[in-house]
Amino acid sequence: MYDVERITIEVVSAIACFILVRFMLKPFRLTGETRYLGLPLGFGFLGISYAFSALSFSSLFDFASTKWVQLFVRAFAFLFLAVTYYFSKSAEEPKLLWNMTLGILAAILTILILLAIISPQLLWPNYRLAQMFVRVFGLICLSYISIRALKSHMEQPEPTTLMIPLGYILLGIGQYSLLVWAVDQSIFAFFGALVLRLAGLAVFLFVSFRTFYDSEKRGNR
Amino acid sequence: MKTILRRDKLKIYGDLLSALYSDSSAEKVVLTQVQVKIKVPFDRLKTYITELVDLGLIKDEISLELTKKGTQYLREYERVLDFMKRMGLAYR
Repeated sequence: MYDVERITIEVVSAIACFILVRFMLKPFRLTGETRYLGLPLGFGFLGISYAFSALSFSSLFDFASTKWVQLFVRAFAFLFLAVTYYFSKSAEEPKLLWNMTLGILAAILTILILLAIISPQLLWPNYRLAQMFVRVFGLICLSYISIRALKSHMEQPEPTTLMIPLGYILLGIGQYSLLVWAVDQSIFAFFGALVLRLAGLAVFLFVSFRTFYDSEKRGNR
Repeated sequence: MKTILRRDKLKIYGDLLSALYSDSSAEKVVLTQVQVKIKVPFDRLKTYITELVDLGLIKDEISLELTKKGTQYLREYERVLDFMKRMGLAYR
């Protein structure tokens, strides 16, 4: 039921995330600091997981064999974003620590994906429960990021710095709606979650385009 | 106690280009004023200026005028800094 609508929303979300990766790479490309790699990695993995979701709703794809991969990729997407915000608050030089964290996370994700492909029976047998845990984990990560982004806004209270916390909060409420849907199977909670996610991603796109293209149009130099 | 954060070279280059650009409307760029603005010792300021000339971001050490490449770099630098501020990420 509603498969076409679901696939459309998942595809649009995936495209939005892949467009965002282009913008999120800019801080890393300019500064060369690996701690800013968490942003493109986070949005990139989110995009991949949404693309997997779209394929899972279509009849073109055998979802059963790759559902674990989708679950891990989504969990790590939120983790990469949260870790980026965690390291950005540190006053010391976090380069070595961040590089080690990035390496360890990448290694764990690779091992989990390989396990999911080669021997899925070794993983947690209850997929639904694991999915629930990933949603709670995503909610925790997004709550942390929202608080960090809001704190940063309060340090420099400008209207321009308020949009991104709003984007993360919308993604967080979307994640919460998915939890509600898992409990009571309410179709409103499910589509509410998808719409909130789209709204959150739209906020990120708006801020990114506004920062990089609006200033170009103004031609301030 | 307020922590004084160490800036990396990229940030210093960006701050220096920004200071030179904002002073470019004046008749003559006064190095001591630039030094006060970006808070670096005078000898190191001279080194940074030489490096920026070598990188092709400043025309020469006398006029201290930004090249086209320098202006483009500064514009991209300010945009990315603005983006990071909006994202709630600090760049020191």
